[in-house]
Amino acid sequence: MGFENYSYLFKYDPVFWNSFWVTLLYSAIVNPLIVLSSLLMALLLNGSHFFTKFFRTVFFLPTAISYAVVAVIWSIVLDPYYGLANSFITSLGLKPQPFFSSPDQALWGLIMLNVWRSSGYWMMYFLAGLQNIPESLYEAAEIDGASILQKTLKITLPLLTRTMSFVLVANTAFNFLSFAPVYIITKGGPIGSTNLLMYESYKSAFVNADMGRASAITSILLAIILVFSFFELKLTKANFEY
Amino acid sequence: MKSGRIWKTTSLFIVLAIVSLFFIVPLVWIVASALRPAGSLYQYANPLTWRTFIPSKPTLENFVHIFSKLNFGRAIANSLFVSLVTILLTVFVSSMAGFSLAKFSFRGKNLVFAIVLITFMVPFESIVIPLYILVKQLKIDNTYWALILPGVANGLAIFLFRQFFSEVPSEIMEAARIDGASWFRIYWRILLPLSMPAIVTVVVMVFMFQWNSLFWPLVATHSSRFEVVQVAIASHRSTESTSWANLFSSAIAGSLPPVILFLFLQKYFVRGISGTGLKG
Repeated sequence: MGFENYSYLFKYDPVFWNSFWVTLLYSAIVNPLIVLSSLLMALLLNGSHFFTKFFRTVFFLPTAISYAVVAVIWSIVLDPYYGLANSFITSLGLKPQPFFSSPDQALWGLIMLNVWRSSGYWMMYFLAGLQNIPESLYEAAEIDGASILQKTLKITLPLLTRTMSFVLVANTAFNFLSFAPVYIITKGGPIGSTNLLMYESYKSAFVNADMGRASAITSILLAIILVFSFFELKLTKANFEY
Repeated sequence: MKSGRIWKTTSLFIVLAIVSLFFIVPLVWIVASALRPAGSLYQYANPLTWRTFIPSKPTLENFVHIFSKLNFGRAIANSLFVSLVTILLTVFVSSMAGFSLAKFSFRGKNLVFAIVLITFMVPFESIVIPLYILVKQLKIDNTYWALILPGVANGLAIFLFRQFFSEVPSEIMEAARIDGASWFRIYWRILLPLSMPAIVTVVVMVFMFQWNSLFWPLVATHSSRFEVVQVAIASHRSTESTSWANLFSSAIAGSLPPVILFLFLQKYFVRGISGTGLKG
């Protein structure tokens, strides 16, 4: 053994490099989107109205559905000919879209699918974090005449730093390891546009029986996750106690 | 003041209702489509009307077909068997491990606990290749054991039990010791019955993991005897010809158990989340 698997990947393997860049692009879009949507949903649902519980359940529900089934659902919703998305788009008078059969759109389909599946899950973490913020802080701010926006920016978000850093790191690692939707919907295509590293590693190991290359890809993926986690933890380091 | 609050609540409700359409509409559409005859699944997909979401003559024929002709029942039974055995073994093994880590002091305890913590931080997908090689060397590839055993080694379950048992006062155990109870009896008759919330959390967690897993079963087994639900669903979508009726109905039938479990035990799903050390 040794490092030849790695040096071959880095020097002579355009398929690997394509996967590498596709994975980074995918990650750079899907992670902020999910964190943002789950945080917004949590902020909207942090009250105790009669409908709060119902909507929490609705948003959290996709978590109970397996990635394989979520992939099935979205491959049909985004089907160019029969899909619900195109029925909706054409009913607005716009042109139908190719979605998973277009190299420009397929990755976005995967991103949409993951936002649908994971947002409710991370929302629960944010809700747990929100519940730990003492009510007295908001009362004090109200006495000082703070607006909702001010309260959110000056109290809620800073005090969610720890939750944020956990969600950021865990969600990033999770999305780097995306496999089932690629396996079920696109098989990495069209023309490699959704060929995420995890799927490339699977194909290498269990389709082409090249365990060395596959292990090298997985190790590189783990290294990327570590690097990202490190910077995300640095970025969200809380410099105060509460 | 009062009317301002009502207005606020109403607009919040409207925003939430619109967002929830994004989550609900695809599900409603899939269920409605699966209830149509196999030949006309997409009859009302376009243009968008109320007929798109409500089948005119609902039928269960697609579901009957996957169970009677495609042996989907076998996949359901396999997944149930694998999940149940994994649950039993995991609860037994990890609660004992959690008990010893919480209540005994022995040499290397901190090291063991650190290893447990590390195992649940390493993502499962990243160990699939070495795990596959190991399972092959043990000659248990393509058996139920290959599906069950990797699920039993669950660091998070050990961690949850350890946290739970740490909060049980040691006086209870000491009193039982004085009365002559063995350690196993204390574990079995006192601590385990007390730890019902932890057990249910672990049961839910392990069930969801096994029932929803695709990657590992795909790799670890290849004969149809051991085909589990997710692999069966994925096999209905092939590149050559996809039978949409089979795909829809197997996806729905395969999702019912976890969704039902979710609706009844939602608070344990959340407990798994808050139990992972996010308080404060």
